Amino acid sequence: MKPPPFRYCAPGTVAQALEELVSHAEEEARVLAGGQSLVPLMNFRLAQPGYLVDLRRIDELARIVLDGDVLSVGAMVRMSAAERSAELNFAAPMLSEALTYVAHPTIRNSGTIGGSIAHADPSAELPAVVLALNAELVVAGPTGRRTIAATDFFTGPFSTALAPDEILCEIRIPHRTGGQSFVEFARTHGSFPLVGVATAIDLVDAEVVHVSIAVAGVAATPVRAEAAERVLLGATPDDITIRAAADAAATALAPSGDIHASSQTRIDMARSYVRRGIELALNRAENGR
Amino acid sequence: MNSHDITLTVNGRVTKISVEPRKLLVDVLREDLGLTGTHVGCEHGVCGTCTVLLDGRSIRSCICFAVQADGAEIRTVESLASGAQLHPLQDAFWEKQGLQCGYCTPGMLMRSVELIEENPKPTLQDVRDGIAGNLCRCTGYQYICEAVVAAADRMRDGDGHDSGENQRAASTEASTP
Amino acid sequence: MTATSRPAPPPVREHKDNLKWVGKSIRRIEDPKFLRGRGGYIGDLVVANMLHSAVLHSPHAHAVIKSIDTTRAVAAEGVHAVITGRDAAELTDPMPDFGPNPAAHTWRCLAVDKVRYVGEGVVVVVADNRYLAEDALALIDVEYEPLPPVVDPMQALEPGTPLVHDALGSNQAYERSFDFGDVDKDFAEADVIITDHLRWHRSGGQPLETVGAIGDYDVSNGQMVIHCNSLSFTSYLFMVAGTLRIPANKLDMRPVPAGGSFGSKLFATKCAIIAGMCSRVVGRPVSYLEDRYENIANCDHHGSDRIYDVELAVMRDGTIRSIKIDTVDDYGAYIQFGVGHHGNALAQVVGPYTIGSVRYRVRAVLTNKNQQGAYRGFGSEVNNWMLEQLVDKAARELDIDPVDIRRRNYIRRFPYFIPTGNVYDSGNYDAVLDKALALCGYEHWREVQAKARAEGRYLGIGLIAAQERSVFSATEFWFWFDEPTAPVTSMPESVTLNVDATGGITATLYSQAFWGNSPETMVAQLVAEEFDCDPHDVSIVYQGSRNGLPATGPGGSRTTVMLAGAIEGATAKIKAKATRAAAHLLEVDVEDLEWANGGIQVKGAPDARKTLGEIAVLLHLFKHSFPDDIESGLEESKVFDHPYTTMPSADRKDLGVFYPFMGHACHIPVVEVDIESGAVSFLDYTAVHDCGTLVNPRSLAGHILGGTTQGIGTALHEEFVYDDSGQLLSASYLDYLMPTSLEMPEMKIGHHETPSPYTPYGIKGGGEGGRMMAPAAINVAVNDALAPLGVRLTELPMTPERVLAAIRNARAT
Repeated sequence: MKPPPFRYCAPGTVAQALEELVSHAEEEARVLAGGQSLVPLMNFRLAQPGYLVDLRRIDELARIVLDGDVLSVGAMVRMSAAERSAELNFAAPMLSEALTYVAHPTIRNSGTIGGSIAHADPSAELPAVVLALNAELVVAGPTGRRTIAATDFFTGPFSTALAPDEILCEIRIPHRTGGQSFVEFARTHGSFPLVGVATAIDLVDAEVVHVSIAVAGVAATPVRAEAAERVLLGATPDDITIRAAADAAATALAPSGDIHASSQTRIDMARSYVRRGIELALNRAENGR
Repeated sequence: MNSHDITLTVNGRVTKISVEPRKLLVDVLREDLGLTGTHVGCEHGVCGTCTVLLDGRSIRSCICFAVQADGAEIRTVESLASGAQLHPLQDAFWEKQGLQCGYCTPGMLMRSVELIEENPKPTLQDVRDGIAGNLCRCTGYQYICEAVVAAADRMRDGDGHDSGENQRAASTEASTP
Repeated sequence: MTATSRPAPPPVREHKDNLKWVGKSIRRIEDPKFLRGRGGYIGDLVVANMLHSAVLHSPHAHAVIKSIDTTRAVAAEGVHAVITGRDAAELTDPMPDFGPNPAAHTWRCLAVDKVRYVGEGVVVVVADNRYLAEDALALIDVEYEPLPPVVDPMQALEPGTPLVHDALGSNQAYERSFDFGDVDKDFAEADVIITDHLRWHRSGGQPLETVGAIGDYDVSNGQMVIHCNSLSFTSYLFMVAGTLRIPANKLDMRPVPAGGSFGSKLFATKCAIIAGMCSRVVGRPVSYLEDRYENIANCDHHGSDRIYDVELAVMRDGTIRSIKIDTVDDYGAYIQFGVGHHGNALAQVVGPYTIGSVRYRVRAVLTNKNQQGAYRGFGSEVNNWMLEQLVDKAARELDIDPVDIRRRNYIRRFPYFIPTGNVYDSGNYDAVLDKALALCGYEHWREVQAKARAEGRYLGIGLIAAQERSVFSATEFWFWFDEPTAPVTSMPESVTLNVDATGGITATLYSQAFWGNSPETMVAQLVAEEFDCDPHDVSIVYQGSRNGLPATGPGGSRTTVMLAGAIEGATAKIKAKATRAAAHLLEVDVEDLEWANGGIQVKGAPDARKTLGEIAVLLHLFKHSFPDDIESGLEESKVFDHPYTTMPSADRKDLGVFYPFMGHACHIPVVEVDIESGAVSFLDYTAVHDCGTLVNPRSLAGHILGGTTQGIGTALHEEFVYDDSGQLLSASYLDYLMPTSLEMPEMKIGHHETPSPYTPYGIKGGGEGGRMMAPAAINVAVNDALAPLGVRLTELPMTPERVLAAIRNARAT
């Protein structure tokens, strides 16, 4: 189980990295971030890029900045650094919470925020988080930078709106007050979740004025639980409303099954965890987190 | 030859070496530097057997290319003991029988070094949480947790490397369950 | 054979009190090198000029190999040899195989003409390093013609199903039904018949170190050295030589420490065969080390995979009269150990209970999967689980307390012959149960459970009592056959003790590859006990097969008992010689001397003594101080044969004694089931074991903890999943899920010691530890938790999927 041969560079700027991607396009050049998903795939020889552009030397991609109401997280910020960031925990507590579920601390020491998002595993935590937080993904390409809404970013299992010659640089997350939560169910600690739920709820006088819920592990990409959001928006939720929202979320799903859970089990788990996620977010919204 | 010149500071020793980009850090440590204490377990980043510290933080050396570690400072299990003196963690693992086959032990020790550096006074539950990324098939983890807590206690007490009579530990009866 | 015609048991031993080292949890002798990262595992070993190899695996469950084109691989950088299955069949004979009919289900180190499971080896490449070897694998073109896969074991038995082995003419490798006692009468007289259909899926040891070997063939003299992390079954290594087509006396298998086995490195010879074959071809040492995929998919050591239809004949008061067991076991594509796993189950088939008769039917089925080997318990852990599910179900249906039904049926007189003819040497099941109930706080947890139920929570308490047979004997592998081809009965273990001129003691072990157990610690403590020295002063040497004495190796929880016997025997010889020497030096009769405090002294006159060191230096260096019949030196060996094996009767109504030293345990997990996610979590876990006299209590507790962890894996998480097309879906640790520290409860371990009357010090084996018990206990606990919903799980592992599906089914009906 050894990786196939490839050539390698570690440029110091985004511009240089983009040049490398373009000039080695024929070698199926790929970006290497933390490598925690890509390298295992290469060890299994399921991925065989001929050229790797390592972003680890690009300092500008490793910053966390809270500028007014927008939290900017560099794509190369290591997950463990993000977990320790006070700004991040203040502005996007759901992200902090989700990070604690991503594999194990040792993986998070290497794994990056951008790497996980760009890998776009439909079961993974961070894609659901950026979807629930209405984040914007800043992407650099040969013709300059563009911004992709999280809702448009994930196009299928392990596929995104990123072009082969583009690099995910930054995740811009609007800071919300209110309550946020991330909950998930995994068969063992650190294994991939069967279902993960990212929830953000704002209350004004106990009435839900904003709600966004994204669910991982139940479709080809993370999905917004819009049916549940509709039940909650404008409501003053009680137990019955919450259960109705969870039922609505579950009813809308048609996940495929795998060896860990059948379609029906994933639906049942989604119902349960959407409910738990809403309860937790509401509780935090009511108590000012 | 598709190779890169890299510099690794391994256990305090600066090493310049030319490697193929695809060569995994664990293989460079084991094959090129002769540090076979770091083991290969699953080669896909799940079991934790290959755990080493890179710039003070634990990583899986089986899913890290050596070129990615260029310029970094790396610590492996070989750095722990000082001559005949075991590191307090090693001594506590011995005393508590925190190992059976010994294969996960180096990775478990290095993760525990990081854990104690981050939290010098861990509870058993802290350790249970902290080592969950390192699989052990032998021990059921319980004596490992006890060992890490015991080692942290000793290290806080300023014992440092003075962990008792390593050479004649036969008379030190490990605590029975 | 009737009870009156049974051979007499061995003499009952007097066990010494006031032991100095036996019973002490000393630090393990093995540990310092492992703590320093100097374990010297097979992957750490470098032989000069060594090359590396990698194996190409079948992507198909069942296919004809139409052609293999190795042209590009042969020409690739760094490649020294490319050997296909057909080439290998020219170079080697079939693999060592203890199966029922090896000629009809021929197993080779690489597949020839047809592949029979996903992951089966097809071609091996030898190259400068493993990276280049794997590069070359990608350049090999194999043309397959897929055949319909045989996946479901019941379907495999149906007429018209494709055949895994055409030469066998069937997918049933073996079938037999035994009756022990009058089963029909007992069933006719029973008040109630409890029936069950149970399913145990396959899991495996998955040691973190894979299997590996370095073959080193010297063409100049025909000698083959193989370094390997499997050295068990040493007495059978001539079979490895046979496969390699070299004389047995020119093969030297050398042990290296194994990073875990749990049975899965038991006689794991395929890596050794491939490495040896490759070395012969290229004329240089060759390493073949499995990677993780291979250790999952092609290890030949998957665990049991059984379907049970069972019936229990019970009286209204809870007395169990008889049991009928009908099991189908999915062995995969080959059957290297025959149905020894069921022989193992027959050693303790009635558990700790006075069940008077047994019917046991087994059908061994071949399918397109990796074959079974050994996994901690070797098939008897499955029987424990089956029996305890039945007893639990009987208690529920008869409304008897789970503690009471067990006490009602406990065996209390020993030695006790169970219906199959095996003996339980000793035990005290009430004492173990009492200790477990107290340690658990059983009544407290029942109260907690009642409160939780009132709150709508699902707590369960899983009390089970089960056996742990120890010190296996060979007959279980062949008593299945009326005319066995090789009815071997030798299962020896040997030790050589050497006292050097300074009095230092070295013990040489002959089959004991270290694989996570504690052979050095056991030997050091036992030698220290015999010689009044410090165990950390005893030196231990592992001898390879060259110049080896007869030995069998670890497995079947035999190591400590067998080593103790060998040490006892060798010690007696050493002391006898030393006493003769001392008698001469002290000018007294041998009868007037005794061993005391590390020396030999005159009875009643302890000042007149010679220490062992004083005697040793004279024996080594001063030959002419002694009579002619005392040779120089002080070294003795003992070949210790299995202390209690008897032959099966010709009609197989009695299988004889084959697993006599019977451990026992009671496990009481307390679980909570989340009925929305199907997750099972532990609130408490108590385990009390009785393995006879303990040598190192903490290391035994370590086996209980570790075995229970693997049992938790078997009960809840671990499964090698093959889909309908025979694809292996759990071929990595992303999908084969094992317990982490957070899946494990903080366990409460208790020991009870009922010494065996027949072994040195009264030791019994305990290496298989918690895995004999935990699957049964956790299943009972989950069923106790879900009883209010009318849900009963009958299939392991109890994954969230299976738990939720069972709840959905219960609600739908």
